[in-house]
Amino acid sequence: MVLLEVRGMTKEFGGLRAIDSLDLTIEKGQIFGLIGPNGAGKSTAFNCIAGAFAPTAGVITFNNETINGQKPWNLCKKGLARTFQIVKPFASKSVLYNVMVASFATTNSRQVAEEKAIKVLESLNFADKKDILSSNLTIADRKRLEIARALATEPKLLLLDEVMAGLRPNEVDEMVEVLKKIREQGTTIFVIEHIMRAIMALSDRIVVIQFGKKIAEGTPKEIANNENVIKAYLGEDYVAA
Amino acid sequence: MNYKNINKVALVAILLIAFGLPLVIRSATYLHILVLLFFYAYLTTSWNLVGGFAGVLPLGHAAFVGIGAYTSTILFLQYGISPWIGMLVGGVLATIAGILIGLPTFKMRGAYFALATIAFAEGFRVIVENIDYIGPFKINGPRGLQIPPLDIGLANFMFASKEPYYYIILIMLVAVVVLTYVISRSKLGYYLNAGGEEPEAAMALGVNVARAKLIAMAMSSFLTAMAGTFYAQFTLYIHPKSIISLDLSFEIAFIALIGGRGSIAGPILGALLLRPVGDFSRIYFGDTLPGMHLIIFGLVLILVMHYQPRGLQEPLTRLYNNLIRRITHNTTGR
Ligand SMILES: Nc1ncnc2c1ncn2[C@@H]1O[C@H](COP(=O)(O)OP(=O)(O)OP(=O)(O)O)[C@@H](O)[C@H]1O
Ligand SMILES: [Mg+2]
Repeated sequence: MVLLEVRGMTKEFGGLRAIDSLDLTIEKGQIFGLIGPNGAGKSTAFNCIAGAFAPTAGVITFNNETINGQKPWNLCKKGLARTFQIVKPFASKSVLYNVMVASFATTNSRQVAEEKAIKVLESLNFADKKDILSSNLTIADRKRLEIARALATEPKLLLLDEVMAGLRPNEVDEMVEVLKKIREQGTTIFVIEHIMRAIMALSDRIVVIQFGKKIAEGTPKEIANNENVIKAYLGEDYVAA
Repeated sequence: MNYKNINKVALVAILLIAFGLPLVIRSATYLHILVLLFFYAYLTTSWNLVGGFAGVLPLGHAAFVGIGAYTSTILFLQYGISPWIGMLVGGVLATIAGILIGLPTFKMRGAYFALATIAFAEGFRVIVENIDYIGPFKINGPRGLQIPPLDIGLANFMFASKEPYYYIILIMLVAVVVLTYVISRSKLGYYLNAGGEEPEAAMALGVNVARAKLIAMAMSSFLTAMAGTFYAQFTLYIHPKSIISLDLSFEIAFIALIGGRGSIAGPILGALLLRPVGDFSRIYFGDTLPGMHLIIFGLVLILVMHYQPRGLQEPLTRLYNNLIRRITHNTTGR
């Protein structure tokens, strides 16, 4: 079953075309990777899908509903959650408070929100830090908080924007396991990542973009051997040589 | 005794003292000062719903005080309607005004929002100062309105002594503090804090930030207008300079920032500190240097912001918690 379908999505900033008629289809239960060089338009694609920007053109279908131009808070309630590449914790509040804001998306009761938040924190092995002020967290934990908050909204589709950037290798491995577990529990994942080792290990399917355009799509294996991708990442000379 | 119990005991003690004070303090002058202190604590707590939790800086709340005071006074003077009812009508009108101001301004950032609210309040004052009638309603321009104290009694919200006013404003203050506490622990409170701190993240997590702010603004305007009616009945004389002035709007913000905006105790602590300072400065400098109190507030604000950017509430809470920890430790350790 198709969960997210993007057709001809374009986003322009002034004269700059950050996304250029992008197509992609994500099936329910997949871990879907999005990679590309710096400035390729990956975060912009997420912003358009999650409602932070309205795309200039194209159609986005989520769960059989066209969602172009809908507000982020409504999309969140429909099961589309995202994290931010540059983390945005509610800095003066505790970890638990941060996650409770998110778990209020599906309840009006404070008690239910708290119970749900604690469950999410436990599933991420994060519950022992629930009373820590979020501004005092390490980078790894801030990334984890982004995920915890997004999960607490009970998403069908989770958009993760470079949640492994800045993590140490052992922390990356840990995160890979966490994401696999989230998928096992029924959440589809759409992930942007620069760490090739992680994205190759995780993804069922990968789309590569450059200058806002799709240059390749396939399984991790196909992507690793794709000439366009190697060119995009390593330059023309490398392929020729 | 554990921490929670001690908190309860402290709270009951404070309430007992507050309600018992008029039995000890018989001087009308001191009671007057206390009434105004509670009045400001009430105003600032109401302001805090939007200025504290929602993370914006409204600087025109005097307009809502004015709407409340003028509405109930006009209804009473011209139609004999009890100020208690006028208080609610004023609240509704202020709520409408608050929403109309909030709709276009809540999307503005920081300073623009503050300026927009100042402009609104000043515009409102200038209008009231320069017209004598709005339709059939007598406003009386800069001369203001006087309420003749003929039918004294609860029904007319008019009393011969200060005590009844003291208890009314104290009950209003307790009620608005309880309301603030309840809101701060509710979904709305979480949404306001989140939207004030990181609007983009809040929106992505399901928070309609503008809507939460509008709800807070509506409640804040309603409660502020009620204080306007109280003030009119307490002084029995209102004029634009006394209740729609920028002075009043600024003093509320000063009290909030110095006490600690966004906290429950902050507005009360701020009023406890600044009101006496303001009163003394008005007594000693009132003739020679009117406005001296605002200069003093400014200096205090600079000092507090430098050393305690989150207001006096923070170090005082820490002190209180340490004290309690020591007490509980001593009693259990013996
Ligand atoms: N709000 C904006 N206004 C104007 N230009 C923008 C905006 N957001 C992104 N851009 C531009 O769009 C292009 C794509 O940026 P984007 O952040 O989507 O890239 P990215 O693939 O996520 O890069 P990175 O790997 O560095 O995170 C860049 O040229 C960027 O400067
Ligand atoms: Mg990016």
